[in-house]
Amino acid sequence: MLTFCLRRILMAALLVLAVASGALVLTRLAPGDGIEEGHLLDPVARAAERARLGLDRPLAEQYVAWLAGAVRLDFGESVLYSRPVTHMVGERAVNTAILAVAALALATLLGIPLGVYTGTHASGIGAALARGASTLLLSIPPLVGALVLVLVAARTGWFPAGGMTSVGGSATWAAWVADVLSHLPVPALSLSLPLAATLERLQSQALAEAAREPFVDASRARGVPPRQVLARHAWPASLGPVLAVYGLMIGSLFSGSFVVEVITAWPGLGRLMFDALRARDLYLVAGTAAAGAACLAAGTLAADVVHARLDPRVRERHRP
Amino acid sequence: MNRQPRTLLTLLLIGAIVGTGYFIWRDLRAPLPGAPHSSRTTDVAPSRGGRLVSTLRSEPRSFNRLASANAVTELYSLLAQAKLVRINRATQELEPWLAEKWETSADGRAFTLTLRDGLTWSDGTPFSAEDVAFTFRAAYDPKAGIVLGPTLQVDGHPLAATVIDGRTVRVEFPASFGPGLRLLDNLPILPRHKLEGALAAGTFAQAWNAATPPSDLVGMGPFQLARYEPGQRLVFTRNPHYWRSAPDGTRLPYLDELVLEIVPDQNAELLRLQSGDADVMQSTVRAEDLASIRPLESQGKLQLLELGVSADPDVFFFNLRAPYWAKDPRRGWVTTRQWRQAISHAVDREALAESVYLGTAVPVWGPVSPGNREWFSPNVPRYPYSLETAAKLLASIGLENRDADEWLEDMSGTEARFTMLTYRGNLVLEREAAFLRDELNKVGIAVDVVALEANALVDRLVRGDFEAIFFQYLTSDLDPALSKDFWLSSGPAHIWNMSQDTPGTPWEAKIDELTRQQAAALDPAERRRLFAEMQRVFGENVPALYFVAPRLYAAASARVVNLTPAILRPQLLWAADTIAVKP
Repeated sequence: MLTFCLRRILMAALLVLAVASGALVLTRLAPGDGIEEGHLLDPVARAAERARLGLDRPLAEQYVAWLAGAVRLDFGESVLYSRPVTHMVGERAVNTAILAVAALALATLLGIPLGVYTGTHASGIGAALARGASTLLLSIPPLVGALVLVLVAARTGWFPAGGMTSVGGSATWAAWVADVLSHLPVPALSLSLPLAATLERLQSQALAEAAREPFVDASRARGVPPRQVLARHAWPASLGPVLAVYGLMIGSLFSGSFVVEVITAWPGLGRLMFDALRARDLYLVAGTAAAGAACLAAGTLAADVVHARLDPRVRERHRP
Repeated sequence: MNRQPRTLLTLLLIGAIVGTGYFIWRDLRAPLPGAPHSSRTTDVAPSRGGRLVSTLRSEPRSFNRLASANAVTELYSLLAQAKLVRINRATQELEPWLAEKWETSADGRAFTLTLRDGLTWSDGTPFSAEDVAFTFRAAYDPKAGIVLGPTLQVDGHPLAATVIDGRTVRVEFPASFGPGLRLLDNLPILPRHKLEGALAAGTFAQAWNAATPPSDLVGMGPFQLARYEPGQRLVFTRNPHYWRSAPDGTRLPYLDELVLEIVPDQNAELLRLQSGDADVMQSTVRAEDLASIRPLESQGKLQLLELGVSADPDVFFFNLRAPYWAKDPRRGWVTTRQWRQAISHAVDREALAESVYLGTAVPVWGPVSPGNREWFSPNVPRYPYSLETAAKLLASIGLENRDADEWLEDMSGTEARFTMLTYRGNLVLEREAAFLRDELNKVGIAVDVVALEANALVDRLVRGDFEAIFFQYLTSDLDPALSKDFWLSSGPAHIWNMSQDTPGTPWEAKIDELTRQQAAALDPAERRRLFAEMQRVFGENVPALYFVAPRLYAAASARVVNLTPAILRPQLLWAADTIAVKP
């Protein structure tokens, strides 16, 4: 298992480097120059702005300078905000992580139990309702889902309609936590409802299939109570496909959802990357892409490790 | 699980869903939280105190107005900095600001400005004429990387500022210039004691960037930046040293605090306003959103303010650079005046205003819309909707339907087809582009609409790599002499054929001559006459086509009083010092 983890960590480092390099080079080669002001047509003014944004330097020079810093985890300075990329990504990553943890917890708490329920109940109104709700949530684009939730929050006043903290600020640490928690429902639900639906569908299918496995039949034949058959045999065996997707979910959630962060004004990594791309802020694009790739790699690794812990067949496969 | 508990569970689930749905339905119908019930408050006397929350669509890139033409930087500058003179966005009149008065020389080229007495920067440092001279030095320093530099020149030459004494500055123009001191509305005065080091070190463009601590940002505007929370908000507090008072003697600004909440999405921005989380929207209200605001206006929760007709009609133009078409089989007709006039005749402007703007736009025939009351000329050539006239004009340049398809062809069989670039993500522009495509299809012209990201489109425009573009060109000032870069053939904003060495056509030479005369003339009546003539020549040759100009609407909470709306950006916050909120 240790060798497996080390190999995956090495692959993850290469993935991060490749993604960040690709993001930097493609952003530089993309049409447009990041000058936001469409009316800024004067060549002298444009040249001054290009120089300020560092876009007048050769790509190779920029890439080599960036790479030299990146190996020391110094991703350079954002030309857009004149701040170290590492600090900015760190700040926004914390915000995104808060949202990601909440969304993941909600998605898990809703999706997995419902999936177990529908996977063990082929018929019945409850299962049909759950399946219908999942299908509905899966078919709603995140943009629409987020807007609907913002609308509900704005019209009902149940939760703040956007942002991460209140205007007035918080005097104490506890007040800040309470403030952030009060702002979480709308973005967290926007992210978690489609994920919960995905988990419910996956868990339901996987559990139905696992219930038909010979070793599950055997445990039933040995007289193991149905709940134990489900909890100790069928459910762990059904987790393979769920955890495979779970890893990707962790990665995508922790790298920030641009759509939900824009609609709900959550100051996370997704929005930062969008702004960086628009401004052709190369180092910031590379930094946010690296953070996203690292989250994705860490998420899939964590899912694989958990899967191995829960399913003895996986442990056997990785045993030297 | 036996049957009874399962049925009970199912019933409970259905009950929970129905109950939740009922509560959502009930609360959606209930009065909006946060938006107080009250009558319109514009007639309420303003009083001191309170906090105003406005939305802001994007993050600040810099707090250095001279180094950044970004809209957020411009807004920061309006709130926290001050100029020698100001153009009142509502009346379009020039007003004394840091300079309380001025005298003009006999030839109209020199102005002696007297600064207000006893002014201090927001950090308490006394203000003097040396700060003015420093700002002029920074604005024209070639090493400083100033983006505003070219806009502060007259005929390519800088203005000269000379300190006479602590309260007097003489500003000399290199040539006679009709708008005179209006040019200085672009120039916020910066504190020498804070920025002199950066200018000397050649790092002025990097100074006052987005990472600068707010305490280092010093200005003479009504507010000072107290906090910048990246991705969330900018919080401004009252500048205790602000010099202005209301007519009744109340010290301005009225507000204790002004918060700009960063809300990148326009739909979410509107919802914030409707829910009472925001008092003012930075964006103007889209035509399709009016229906959701009007009921709240009639309930006295929101104010819907009609600002007037926009001064920035959307513009459509072909690439008129001859080399671009040199090897193209369409070169014989695509740059002709008849081609453009035919297109103008083929577009039903009334229908465009109805369908895309839901009736909230007016037809226009040139770059100056009726919103620009001072300079609009109603006597420009018009091209009324007529498919027959369009067909005749197209036939006059050899374009007829010569085969069985629906498109026109020239003598060589080349189809009347072109590619129109427009902004991606600007839904109104994209809908208008689709409308234009459909209108031109009716006369046999095929249009391929390609939507590009804004800066990619501008990049193509600047490189001259396009067939036709449909986009929005923003006006910063309504005086035509301050838009010479658009009118002059040598200008970088002469969008259909930029930065020409010599005028490519006789009519461009004529407009060049008129533009120079108009900018140099000091007599307002003569300037208006010359500009009307410029618009007429432009209208005859239609190098760029204009179809409609939208009516602008702004929305604000009913608790906001003393607003002075204007058609130029930022439509409400340009006069933030006089805005107040009900206690």
